[in-house]
Amino acid sequence: MSFIKFENVSFNYQHQKLLLSELELSIDSNSFTAVTGPNGSGKTTLGKLAMGILKPLSGKVLLEGRDISTMSLGKVGSKIGYLFQNPEVQIFANTVIDDLGFVMRIKNIEENEINKKIDTVLDFLNISDLRNSNTFNLSYGEKQRLAIAGILINEPQFLILDEPTTGLDIGRKKMLSALIEKLLAAGKGLMIISHDHKFINNFSGKVLKISGGKIYE
Amino acid sequence: MSKFSIEADIRSKLAVVLGFSTIAVFIQHIYVLSFILIISIAAALLFGANILKAIKTTRNLWYLFFIIVILQSIFSRSGQALLAINGFPLITAGGVLKGGEFLMRVSVIVFSATIISTSNSREVVQGLVQLKIPYDIAFMVSVAIRFLPLLRSEIKDTFTAIQLRGLDLKKIPLKRRIRVYLYIFNPVVAGAIRKARGLSIAMEMRAFRAYRKRTSFLKLRLSAADYFIMVFTLIFTSAVFVMFYYFNFPAGII
Repeated sequence: MSFIKFENVSFNYQHQKLLLSELELSIDSNSFTAVTGPNGSGKTTLGKLAMGILKPLSGKVLLEGRDISTMSLGKVGSKIGYLFQNPEVQIFANTVIDDLGFVMRIKNIEENEINKKIDTVLDFLNISDLRNSNTFNLSYGEKQRLAIAGILINEPQFLILDEPTTGLDIGRKKMLSALIEKLLAAGKGLMIISHDHKFINNFSGKVLKISGGKIYE
Repeated sequence: MSKFSIEADIRSKLAVVLGFSTIAVFIQHIYVLSFILIISIAAALLFGANILKAIKTTRNLWYLFFIIVILQSIFSRSGQALLAINGFPLITAGGVLKGGEFLMRVSVIVFSATIISTSNSREVVQGLVQLKIPYDIAFMVSVAIRFLPLLRSEIKDTFTAIQLRGLDLKKIPLKRRIRVYLYIFNPVVAGAIRKARGLSIAMEMRAFRAYRKRTSFLKLRLSAADYFIMVFTLIFTSAVFVMFYYFNFPAGII
């Protein structure tokens, strides 16, 4: 069974022409998939449909065989992590440690377990030195890593990264590339939405191109 | 804009909005407010405003308004008791009337404000400048208008992002849900500050306020129809006030 499945999915934004038309797509939970295409072709829309953030005009998006429209965003978020184009929208607290721990605190998880999880995820992303930093003072690359940390602390099986290379220099791109390799080695599935072909070609997997509302492999 | 809409200067539109809003704020009478609501909807349609879109956009505000109406009905007690528990009047005719007046008042303000949306932000700024409002303040108004949709989409993204952290908001008790909402403020306020800083730098780079006097390519000119609209609005607003306060018309209900 596919992890994410698009069944005859069409989508358009209000008062606009059809952006995606009758898409059929299957993605496995531990695979690498890259989605490319020109600006405005519907790459981000595809990612948001896969997360259930947007609802299809017709057709169905299935997550582990279940219609995603019947699931809450909280439920989807515990299975798929989504990195927004602008990571700043997903940093919620003033300090790194609070940002990574507040959801668990709201869920009444033990403080010891919260700290253990935070340390593990910071260590995985090589940002342990930022543990007590103020989130306002972080660089763009650090904010992106913190946003990924916020996703990983939920232990999702799959991650969708929307234009993760935007605003990163060569050095930061290399760091991101190494992180993606590490995530794949850890058994996580990944979908990268990007028009950075050079970056995508670093990884082996499926490359999908969106053009004219259709998807091509 | 619809085929039958009136092409008017922003200053005459501002005069209409000011007139209707003033009546709505100062006159507390359900009949007068209902009459003004009908007139303001008719005026909004005449100016080509999209009423349905305005209702859709302010959808969440209306829920809040209805909650206030219910609270007002409960807490303002006067007149005949409509619902009583153990002899204690819970909902009274006076309370319902007050709630109705509040709903009419905000409706007049919202619908008459849609008239301004029929002009673009550049016209609004120029209209305010030609009304002798300092350019800095007029420009701030236009920036606020332009950034509102952006802010709305950012709040929406943040709200989505916080749920994607694995929070099922419907299943969280209210007290803890309020804590979640407080966390939403952080990225929204930080984003607004960052945008304001970026905008101020960009404005300085384009020599904003470099010269004391500012010239403008766009000049608004009042037509005969604009003068008519403004004079009519003034007479109409004054007439409503005179009728209500001097002739005590219409008389009180309760």
